[in-house]
Amino acid sequence: MDNIVASFAERRTDFVIKLLLVGIAVFWLMPFVVIFLTAIRSQGDMIRNGIFSWPEELRWDNFVAAWDTGRFNIYFRNSLFLILVKVPLGLLIASLAAYPLAKMKFRGSDTVFILFLVGLAVPIQVTLQPLLIMMSSLGIANTLWALIPPYLAFGLPFQIFVMRGFFRILPNELIEAARMDGASETSIFFRIMLPLSLPPLATLAIIDTLATWNEFLIALVLISANSSRTVPIGLMQFQGQYQSQFTLLMAGVLISIIPVLLIFLFLQRYFVAGLAGSVKG
Amino acid sequence: MTMRLLATTALAATIALPAAAQDELRFFNVFDATASALWVEPLEAFREATGVRVESESIAGSGAAVYPDVLRTAIASGSPPDVFFMWGGTIAQPFVDAGQTRDLSDLYEEFGWNDRFPPWIIDRLTQPDGSIHGVPFKARGMGLWYRKDLFEQYGMTEPTSYEELAQICETFIENGIHCASFGGQFGWHTMRLVDYFLEDTCGAETHDAINARTETWDQQCVVDAFARLRQWVDDEWLVPNFLGVTPTDSRMPMYLGNAAMVYEGGWFENALIGDGQDPGEYAFFLPPTPSGRFHAFPEQWKIPAQSTNQETAAAFLDWITDGETHMQWRAAFEGSVSAGYSPDCDAFPHACRWTEFLTSDRGTYPPTDQAFERELIDGFFEAQDGVVAGLITPEEAAAMIQRFVEEFDSPG
Amino acid sequence: MTLAETTATRPRVRRRSAAAERARRFAAIRPWLFLAPALLVYGGFLVLPMLFTLYTSFYSWDGISPLANMTWVGLENYVRAFTADTVARRAFVNNLFWTAGAVIIPTIIGLFLAIALNGVAAVNRALRTIYYAPAVLPLVAVGLIWGWMYNPNFGAVNLFLREIGLGHWAGGWLSSHTMALPATFITFVWSSVGFPMILYLAGLQTIPRELYEAARIDGASRWHCFRFITLPGLVETHVIVLSLAVINGFKVFDLIYTMTYGGPGRSTHVLGTWMYFQAFQFHNAGYGAALAWIIAAIVLVVAVPYIRRMSRS
Repeated sequence: MDNIVASFAERRTDFVIKLLLVGIAVFWLMPFVVIFLTAIRSQGDMIRNGIFSWPEELRWDNFVAAWDTGRFNIYFRNSLFLILVKVPLGLLIASLAAYPLAKMKFRGSDTVFILFLVGLAVPIQVTLQPLLIMMSSLGIANTLWALIPPYLAFGLPFQIFVMRGFFRILPNELIEAARMDGASETSIFFRIMLPLSLPPLATLAIIDTLATWNEFLIALVLISANSSRTVPIGLMQFQGQYQSQFTLLMAGVLISIIPVLLIFLFLQRYFVAGLAGSVKG
Repeated sequence: MTMRLLATTALAATIALPAAAQDELRFFNVFDATASALWVEPLEAFREATGVRVESESIAGSGAAVYPDVLRTAIASGSPPDVFFMWGGTIAQPFVDAGQTRDLSDLYEEFGWNDRFPPWIIDRLTQPDGSIHGVPFKARGMGLWYRKDLFEQYGMTEPTSYEELAQICETFIENGIHCASFGGQFGWHTMRLVDYFLEDTCGAETHDAINARTETWDQQCVVDAFARLRQWVDDEWLVPNFLGVTPTDSRMPMYLGNAAMVYEGGWFENALIGDGQDPGEYAFFLPPTPSGRFHAFPEQWKIPAQSTNQETAAAFLDWITDGETHMQWRAAFEGSVSAGYSPDCDAFPHACRWTEFLTSDRGTYPPTDQAFERELIDGFFEAQDGVVAGLITPEEAAAMIQRFVEEFDSPG
Repeated sequence: MTLAETTATRPRVRRRSAAAERARRFAAIRPWLFLAPALLVYGGFLVLPMLFTLYTSFYSWDGISPLANMTWVGLENYVRAFTADTVARRAFVNNLFWTAGAVIIPTIIGLFLAIALNGVAAVNRALRTIYYAPAVLPLVAVGLIWGWMYNPNFGAVNLFLREIGLGHWAGGWLSSHTMALPATFITFVWSSVGFPMILYLAGLQTIPRELYEAARIDGASRWHCFRFITLPGLVETHVIVLSLAVINGFKVFDLIYTMTYGGPGRSTHVLGTWMYFQAFQFHNAGYGAALAWIIAAIVLVVAVPYIRRMSRS
């Protein structure tokens, strides 16, 4: 609401709120400070001086050590592959399904929608065993490909739910007009619905990238071969049965969040770019 | 290079591989990054000697270990490894009961494994029906590790009875130092202290009997053990508010000098090094009991019954439990009790002492989480945490465990 | 518009050509063509595994033995959950509190943040990133860091409280039977406000700016704009955010498993962790499956009527 005429009192309130949010943000970042401090020191230093102290000596080589001993080159490649394949594919499939649910009237649409909602209620943990059996019989267990179908399936309910909600807001007149002009449903979907839905798509892309990047249980159970493992499983190696390498772990954590933070920064523009102007009701 | 070649040829001569051996073994273990690195060379040597590539699939992780969950899912889904790591006792038992592990009796015969390991550890792995489904990897003993400087400062010596230990704690708290630090988050760390109390108050025979559930838990010596736990909490001999602290984090107060002891196993020497401490500034003693027994448990290797590669797996097991192999890569096999292995006593004096204890005929008792099934131990933890938090009395805790035992053991 | 309406508004066609017939049939299957990929993946990799667990929930099974060794027990697993299992009852109560909190607190904060930080200014972008950042962290890091923050001895929370003269508030946090769950919930709020925030941000972009401009010209206060333009304009987003809060509140697992492991005692178990303990650690796969279906049923009974009612208008 920034460029709407605001009174002096309102602008003062705005300023106070911003200041407050900046203040709280400091607390919000505290855990990150701890992660950072832990990542750049030696474990002995951390223990002698306390976790919340400034390091005696900066150990930037922790990042190199975490990358090398953690074999992050493999895990990074695998996780990047996953988000590059899974996220766009998932969003496409979900949007395709959400379109008729939001904008077409047909028998069974309600039932199908509820069927998808049921998926939101399913606890992932109990499906691990049948999933592994399925992947084994498909011959793709222990490969990266084994993760894509379940990731798609578990992402769909939420994405369809959200996309359906946003498609519903888009004015029907737009679609009617296009139909009059003889546009096919496919081109209405790709030329009108999707371009007008960039904010929710960007939001879902962020959420899905994160969920995929950090997914732990399915990746843990379906893949045990080192060459196919993903980043969160790789991070586990720094915690042994009887001791933990906190400093390398935190260095690994910092490395691991860089790609997702970049994606977040990049996609942000789509949900604040004032696209609303083009969607007059 | 020549040395390596020689070693390889020697290996090749000693490993009897079946003619139709497949050339890959899936090997499940809990190695962290450090251990995985230490195992690269031995596995490579095995490959050079036999042509069998061992694919090590490690599932590391600390207290809330997910390893058994992964293993279970793999086995139940028909894609088991060829060799897998396991702890002892009831943690391994479900896999045996489900008929998913191979009886290794014939291999003990064939490879002479009975002479390779101390009797107590073979005893622990042997099933009631006499079969044996695992071969020892490491033996782990546990005791109280203390800061030498603090003991010296207050003129203390290692205690020889519970009363002496209590005296030590009394002195420490009078001087503002907690006697011991525990991390209660997963239950099993606090349990070590309770186990020690039980061994002391009940005596060896009764302790074994209540663990086997042939005698009731609702008896005086159990109440006494929990009363001790309560008193250690009340008098702040233990660092307060420890129930939600992880076992690893509970070492911190000792490092900082706020507590004098932790209850850890032989692995703690390496942990000290990893934490940037000087192991020479620490020492351990076995918590004193009239029986003289101490806390110990095996780590073992097993072969899934479904493995299609059992002969090769057996040859691999024979090789990785051989004392000679261990001597070649001592760091990878720290904690081994195989005949022919000895730790590097100059570099690792504590490991040296542990090996002595673990290969002696001094009796051992298992941690309760390897005597109780996981479901039952969860009830035990609830009782134990209830006593620590002051929510239930020691009497109630004893009765509560007995109730859980009866519910668990009742048919249906 | 239904097909009937469409034909009714058109000039009457005397004789339907074969082409028109084909077009009509195609129109009938068109929605299903759009739905097909989703239904295929969803059916194969979510519905099928879930049906498998439904099947096992009627059996006694250790989850390790071959499937042939399962024993049929009928509804016994379900009966046990409702009658004999006191931990499940406690877990359910914990779920209720957690869900109530999750519906109210992160949602309100997220909505507030979305409105306050909506806009292209650099400070907004920075603050949005900061408030969303915790969601980026892998769980293992969240568990460790907050374990340190809450540590009774050296933890930052107690240090801070003592520093500002509230030393008597310092406590055991995760070590306390009563405080462990609220403490975990605070971590949850920290890590999750970004989620409703970005959903609301996306929702805000769909409200036409002209509505605000017109209202302001008419002299409406900002509270009025919020009350009569923003809130109603976000109705679809509310449905999404609130129903997800309910659903995830009953399904919560990760954070509690990582931070308290159900303890101290079993005081912080929720249905999700208890199910995991039963199915994976206690080797009661059949019972665990039954608990999973109970969780799913609760979620559906609560969430679906709400979603349906809200999305009918």
